[in-house]
Amino acid sequence: MNLKSIALRAATASAAMLLAATAFAVEPVKVGVGIAQTGMFAPAAIPALNAYKMWADDLNASGGLDVAGTKRPVKLIVYDDQSDFTKDAAIYEKLITDDKVDLLLSPYATPAHFAIVGVLERYKFPMMGSTAASVQLKAVKPGNIWFPTSALPDVMGPELVKLMKAQNIKTVAISTLQSPFAQEVEKYLKMALKDSGIKLLSSVEYAPDIRDMTSIVSKMKSEQPDATFSLSFPGDSVLFMKAAREQGLSAPFQFVLVGPSAAFFSKIFGKNLDGIVTMGHWSPYQTKWPKAMPFFEEYSKRYNETPDYLDVALAYMSCEITQAAVAKVGLDHDKLRKEISSATFDTIDGPVKFDGVSNASTPTMFLQNQEGKPQIIWPASDATSTFQKKGPWAN
Amino acid sequence: MKTRIFSLAGIAVLLALCIAAPQMLDAYSLGVALQLLSWIALTQSWVTFSGLTGYVSLGHAVFYGLGAYVMALLWQSAPLWEILLGSGFAGALLALVIGYPALRVSGPYFVILTLGLSEFFKYIVIAVEAGLESSGRLIFGAPDPETLYYIMLLLAVVATLLTWGLARSRWGAGLRAIREDETAAETLGVPVTFLKIAAFVISAFIPGVVGAVWVLRTTYFEPMQLFSPTTSFTIVTMAIIGGSDRAPGPIFGAAFIVLLSELLWARAPHVYLVILGVLLVSFVLFVPKGISGQLAWLMRRRRA
Repeated sequence: MNLKSIALRAATASAAMLLAATAFAVEPVKVGVGIAQTGMFAPAAIPALNAYKMWADDLNASGGLDVAGTKRPVKLIVYDDQSDFTKDAAIYEKLITDDKVDLLLSPYATPAHFAIVGVLERYKFPMMGSTAASVQLKAVKPGNIWFPTSALPDVMGPELVKLMKAQNIKTVAISTLQSPFAQEVEKYLKMALKDSGIKLLSSVEYAPDIRDMTSIVSKMKSEQPDATFSLSFPGDSVLFMKAAREQGLSAPFQFVLVGPSAAFFSKIFGKNLDGIVTMGHWSPYQTKWPKAMPFFEEYSKRYNETPDYLDVALAYMSCEITQAAVAKVGLDHDKLRKEISSATFDTIDGPVKFDGVSNASTPTMFLQNQEGKPQIIWPASDATSTFQKKGPWAN
Repeated sequence: MKTRIFSLAGIAVLLALCIAAPQMLDAYSLGVALQLLSWIALTQSWVTFSGLTGYVSLGHAVFYGLGAYVMALLWQSAPLWEILLGSGFAGALLALVIGYPALRVSGPYFVILTLGLSEFFKYIVIAVEAGLESSGRLIFGAPDPETLYYIMLLLAVVATLLTWGLARSRWGAGLRAIREDETAAETLGVPVTFLKIAAFVISAFIPGVVGAVWVLRTTYFEPMQLFSPTTSFTIVTMAIIGGSDRAPGPIFGAAFIVLLSELLWARAPHVYLVILGVLLVSFVLFVPKGISGQLAWLMRRRRA
């Protein structure tokens, strides 16, 4: 070993030690989340939390989060809101003032988002929203929260009518859970149905503690509509699907609002899920979004189940947007606010740009399960497949 | 006399600390204090009726939810204080309307009836909101937490004074007589119907205002959460743990549960409700008079 190689090795070792020391010295970026880990929302919220965890782990494995040119490890601080949105304001206040987090990720579901709007305003803390969808979002003052969803009821109503007209649907029956989001969809769907040429045969609402939907499905079946709408949340969506399977509901167009995009739904219903139309604006099979399939594969492999095509996709998009903004401008809240408000972000759901608090880039879409795969069937510009009539139920 | 002076001094110090709290606490701790005060006010209001009469009400969630609903409907259409009072009166009025038929039954029938009425009213609000095509109500421009804290402190103090005053008054003696033997009380000339309804109406005013303040804290009204029966169950739990026959009881009960929850929810989210359940059963079995009753017994024993 000559002197030159010894010097080279010593220099390399010193550089490595210096790098290691620097890595240890770098403060982690603290990212706070309050989300339902227990309670009624937990089954749907935990997959969204899994998306957050996967994002953080991937970042740490690749050297950390790029903070305006400097890589820093990410540390997630997660609290359980017990599915009680009245706890979220206190949790996010704790994250901001007690844990002194650098960034926030959002809680699960619209009410929890609404419950922290005031806290974000008070501390001028920008945060990407995720699993929130309501016409009321548009009333939120822009600047501290943004919503990546494009499944907003005032657009969904007219788009659903266009989709039905394209399938030559003539008659419709609707059942609606008495819950804010479902009722908003009902309201805008009914408005769009007026003067559309599609006849509304019946519309019933039911209370959130419903235990059985046999009579509702039975009534729908007796009316023989071309299209049925179950404007329901996961719990009652399961009840509706079970009753529809038992009674062999035969409408060629069957829409179920929330649930069919979740992994547990396909575990319950298997092939019977084929043909069900649902809301959603992401599919791993959309080849023009190159990040979609790698995300799908990584998530499926890591958690041994497919991601929810709606909630998990939205949760991960919120991470991607936060990450891209931090890479560009760092952690300064004013700069982050400006960046998120003005830039276009490359996500698993394609490019996203905000107008006020709303996603102005992603069109409202609808998914249909076809041979076990969620395919985008509307609008034609983003479709990965065409609508197929719901086939007979298997028992 | 000496004990009395010490007690008064202790209360004055506690009150001074409560008044100074927003200047001493960080934002999160202030949020916890706000929560604690709300539970003290709610549990005190429950004790003024159920603790003294023995009529166990599981209907306080409805007065709380109604107050929240009134605030959500009227926010920014009238001054804050008017809406707060309106929320309280809405709770009291509802208690008057449902009190007369409900208080004709007692024991387990009354418990089930109040729970049933509470759930019934929740679904009425859900149906009304559906009819109005409302999908939850967002509240913008709510007062800052310091303001809400002072309102809640006032409510907790008023509710505590109410329990304290009522327990020592002729009305309180009448209510206790109803608890011990209603028929005997009536025979002795206690106006049982009037006293029961009056106590029920008074006890419904405070939860109405607390609900109105709390919805300003959460900034979003959604009936399923704000009319949740869990509110009633929590109140009863706090009263049992703290002791439901005297004013310090709800303070001990609420402080115990809120502080224990604070210690556990972040560290042991999956077991903390189990721990609370075990504690509740333990208190019912081994400390039936609650923390305040046990402390009073210990002090009496020490003096003896």
